Amino acid sequence: MSDAATRTTDRGTWLLVARRDFWVRLRERSFLISTLLNMVVISILVLARAYGGAGQGPSFDLGYVGPPPVADGAVALGQQAGVTVHVHELPDEMAAAQALRDGSVDAVVFGDRIVARSSLDPTLGGLIEASSRQVRIDALLDRHGVTAQERADANAGLPVQTIEAPPPPHRSENAEVAFVAVILLYGQLFGYGIWVATGVIEEKASRVVELLLSAIRPKQLLAGKIVGIGILGLGQLIVVATFAIVLALVTGALDVPLSAVGAAALVIGWFILGFAFYASLFAAAGALASRPEELQNVIVPINLIILVSFFISIGALQNPDGRLVTIASLLPMSAPLAMPVRIVLGAAPWWQVLLSLAVIVGSTVVLVPAAARLYIGAILRSGGRVRIRDAWRAAA
Amino acid sequence: MLQLIDLRRRFGDVVALDGLSFEVPEGRIVGFVGRNGSGKTTTMRITLGVLQADGGEVRWRGAPVDAAVRRRFGYMPEERGLYPKMRLREQLVYLARLRGTPKDVARDRASELLQVLEVIGDPQARMESLSLGNQQRVQLAASLVHAPELLVLDEPFSGLDPVGVDVLAGVLSREARERGVAVVFSSHQLDLVERLCDAVVLVDHGRVVTSGTIEELRAMRARNLWRVEVAGAGAEWWSAVPGVRLDEHRDGEVILELDDAADPQRVLDLARAEGDVRAFGPIEPTLAQLFREVVAG
Repeated sequence: MSDAATRTTDRGTWLLVARRDFWVRLRERSFLISTLLNMVVISILVLARAYGGAGQGPSFDLGYVGPPPVADGAVALGQQAGVTVHVHELPDEMAAAQALRDGSVDAVVFGDRIVARSSLDPTLGGLIEASSRQVRIDALLDRHGVTAQERADANAGLPVQTIEAPPPPHRSENAEVAFVAVILLYGQLFGYGIWVATGVIEEKASRVVELLLSAIRPKQLLAGKIVGIGILGLGQLIVVATFAIVLALVTGALDVPLSAVGAAALVIGWFILGFAFYASLFAAAGALASRPEELQNVIVPINLIILVSFFISIGALQNPDGRLVTIASLLPMSAPLAMPVRIVLGAAPWWQVLLSLAVIVGSTVVLVPAAARLYIGAILRSGGRVRIRDAWRAAA
Repeated sequence: MLQLIDLRRRFGDVVALDGLSFEVPEGRIVGFVGRNGSGKTTTMRITLGVLQADGGEVRWRGAPVDAAVRRRFGYMPEERGLYPKMRLREQLVYLARLRGTPKDVARDRASELLQVLEVIGDPQARMESLSLGNQQRVQLAASLVHAPELLVLDEPFSGLDPVGVDVLAGVLSREARERGVAVVFSSHQLDLVERLCDAVVLVDHGRVVTSGTIEELRAMRARNLWRVEVAGAGAEWWSAVPGVRLDEHRDGEVILELDDAADPQRVLDLARAEGDVRAFGPIEPTLAQLFREVVAG
């Protein structure tokens, strides 16, 4: 007797597996904790940038009593040198002394004198002196009837030649975005990879896998697990990235919101590529173990590869054009961490990006069937660690 | 009908299955009996596709079994295990859906099975919070939840208390009689097999040694033994009847083996001539005796 209610094809069974793996982990406390932890870390980085002024040039408050040209000149010179100077007009010496004492200004210009509280910051001092010199020279030139044209010619800057291409704008700001990106990618690839391995070991250790594999094919189980956990990781990444961007915009930590959105898209895209590459490896490693305690042992090689890639990518923040970093950004195991850094810093030519994409997609296509074969060969073998060679042969 | 035809399987140098064949008709319960390591679990794993055979074939309703057909089989592996942290009913529904049962049907059936199998525990409880006996019942529910056409159970009674044994036996009978399910299970509890099964398959060294109904097995293999108790009988009083041999002497009574030529009535006549006959009757060999006999011989 056949049950009419039973569907006869098993297509889409992997979706059921994916859904279970997604929901079970979504409800786990460790997922909530890791999401919150991500947000806390991001908040600290964003807020440190917004209020710590890291990455921006120094900033000063300059008061003046009397005519403003010297103070205004200091502002203009400061702009050229990447120093922010805010000017405040003060009515008299009393007010100036008061402002200096309560710290609302760093120095006050009195005609041809500079007054500071106890010492004068050399940067600010230099700016004021240069400005004051400029004002006096202008007055002198005026008296000698030098025309505006002659003065402009004399003031023209020297033409600048460079022997290398200029760095893209906003590099220091982007370095921080890249830093956040690489931290997120590392945590996500590693954390969710471990979750795949743990999930595989759980099924093996609890023996439920034999029942599962009497109902569905190993490939369906593997695919469902990877997709389910991957989508959870992706979802968490999207939540955290959105949170980071909103926070950065609200606090004004980033002047270029578009680049932040672009970086977020980059992180998400590279997570998908990296997870596709690594997840099947983690699954195969998990299948080689028999008990949860063996997890740490079986994932050591994968661990090392990701960790080394991570450190190379952190190094890339300083030197995104270095040879090691360039190579790392083209190899499939390190590209998901190294390439986004180079892209954010504008150090990767388009052909390298394309090459890197082709390499990681191509190697994933080759790797997944091989890892699946190890998984299939090892998943039903209990009693101690399965050797790679045995697993490979068993699935033949 | 499930047909296992000439199954062969080696593990390295060990021959686990050596041309094993038998059948399980629908609506029947077949007991699968044999010593440890005789190939029972290997046979079941191959039937469910968890293990590949080196040779031979598994057929269901006349056609070779593939993944789609196996979705209609129910399985209880020797190594029990479900997701420890998953809730009972959720787990059963999930397993049923993996085999293609729609969600609402699966939910109804899961609730019903938890009741029928008398699982003590909230359907919302996690698997790991149950006692082992209860986990065993849930495991059985997992093999039944998708309303399978064939049930393959590896040692389903081990670890159950007597009440659990009765519940499980009742469920298996009902599945076979009322739903026409083909049931095959392995067990070392031979009295249970004898009570429950329509047919028995006895396996040794990866081959079927003998199979048939209990009656057929008895007729085929058992010795014709009679128990006689006579007060005050002389020694060897039975030797006057040709074809009678002493099998065993227990205090006061003797077990006699009669060959085909020997007439039990003549033995009885002789016994009455000797003294008061307190007991006289054939000994129906138990499955356990048949088993020992077959395996030893």
